[in-house]
Amino acid sequence: MKNLKLYLFFIFSSICFNLASEDFEYEVIAEELSSPWAIAMIDDNNILFTELSGQLRRIKDGVLVQESVSGVPEVLFAGQGGLSGIILDPNFKENNRLFIAFSSPDEGQATNTLEVISAILDQNSLINVNTIFKASPSRRTAAHYGARMAFLDDGTLLITSGDGFNYREDAQNLDNHFGKVIRLNIDGSIPSDNPFINQEGALPEIYSFGHRNPQGIVVANGFIYENEHGPMGGDELNIVEAAKNYGWPAITYGKDYSGAMISPFTEKDGMEQPIKYWVPSIAPSGMTFYDKDLFSGWKGSILISALVPGDVRRLVMNNSEFIEEETLFSDLGRIRDIVTSPNGSLVLATDGPNGKLIRVQPKQ
Amino acid sequence: MLKKSLYLIISILLATVLVVLQTTLSNLMWLSSVDMPVTIGLTLNTFFGDLIGMNSAGAIPLVGLVAVGMLLAYLVAKILLIWINTKKSYAYGLAGAAAILAIVLLMPLAFYNLDLIAGARTALGKTILILCGFLSGYYFGSRLEGKE
Repeated sequence: MKNLKLYLFFIFSSICFNLASEDFEYEVIAEELSSPWAIAMIDDNNILFTELSGQLRRIKDGVLVQESVSGVPEVLFAGQGGLSGIILDPNFKENNRLFIAFSSPDEGQATNTLEVISAILDQNSLINVNTIFKASPSRRTAAHYGARMAFLDDGTLLITSGDGFNYREDAQNLDNHFGKVIRLNIDGSIPSDNPFINQEGALPEIYSFGHRNPQGIVVANGFIYENEHGPMGGDELNIVEAAKNYGWPAITYGKDYSGAMISPFTEKDGMEQPIKYWVPSIAPSGMTFYDKDLFSGWKGSILISALVPGDVRRLVMNNSEFIEEETLFSDLGRIRDIVTSPNGSLVLATDGPNGKLIRVQPKQ
Repeated sequence: MLKKSLYLIISILLATVLVVLQTTLSNLMWLSSVDMPVTIGLTLNTFFGDLIGMNSAGAIPLVGLVAVGMLLAYLVAKILLIWINTKKSYAYGLAGAAAILAIVLLMPLAFYNLDLIAGARTALGKTILILCGFLSGYYFGSRLEGKE
């Protein structure tokens, strides 16, 4: 009898799960976009998004504004570099302030770095543009910038900074910004309770270290969820905590693109384990925590957009514990970003020179 | 002809093994410097793992890359030796060095300045790899001299 109940429970769960998974439809909001990279929802029908090639674009009342937003700083559009992360100030409706992360060329030199600006959106222009962060030192490579942002509940801003590919060992040193999560006040000043602020030789902006190329960061339920690209294999979902070392490249589940081992070690005392890792890689890009009721079956899940082979991974979580994974939207190609709209629909950005913004909503 | 071909193959394999060895050792030296427990057994395991991995699991099989580079460089050396009177060991040594130099300099140009061979990310690493190329070419040239 007990087995029968269990069996019926599994059948019921399976039916519910499938209904939840399939009961949606796509609506193309905008297309022929130049490598859309990050989305910020002003409200359900007003959206800002970046294109890697350097444009800040706008959906106004549901319609793509053809003219891109002016006043955006010059970016280095090469390799993985370009206009990247965007986030709205928590009080955007009052102050119109936003933050943009991008790869910034060093004037007159062959180097570049990750830069973050704050600016005010005034009609279709950015004004009062201020640099609040520049990663140090600069790099010669055009890869692994990180460049995603999230606000903590105390109003401070987290910025992910990648390892620059060639500088992976620097992720273990605190004297640079490679492979770090950075925490700043919105004016660029350093919060007085940052974990390394009093440590000699450590940069005071650093919040956590030992990251590779973190391209998703979300604050929800009192946790900082962060995903990062591994090399060949070893993509990770972590819960970031102040001062913690996430191990790259001393410990990893991935291998180098040359086929060589990066490290034969996968764990060490003092280095954090991911709460979930992927071998082979899924190339995680954006991430959102779904806390709405529109797709009630997905409430409380983390949704991660993935570039390889191109889908969205729904991770069922119990706070810091990973429970199970479901693959969604695998018919759209490489997906660069995913956000939750205030009404509970999802907005996806597909990757590449002919990218789209697509809304996912319940089937009518 | 058969022996020359054998020397050529050994020279390419030697260069490949030395490049792998440099990559493995430079990586493990760094890991050891951050207090990871690197042992002799682990070093051997990692080296053989890299030898297989870099020639079968990577984006480009290393041995193929080295073979193309060295064949071209040896061909140029053979032509130059018609006019330049020098020891073959030196000429092919320089050719081997040039082949590896080309690999470590040209590959990043194709990949946004990314050094896909991790051991080539520093100037010292590049120098050691070029030396590996020289030794392999020197072996090839000296075997040809011995045959004459």
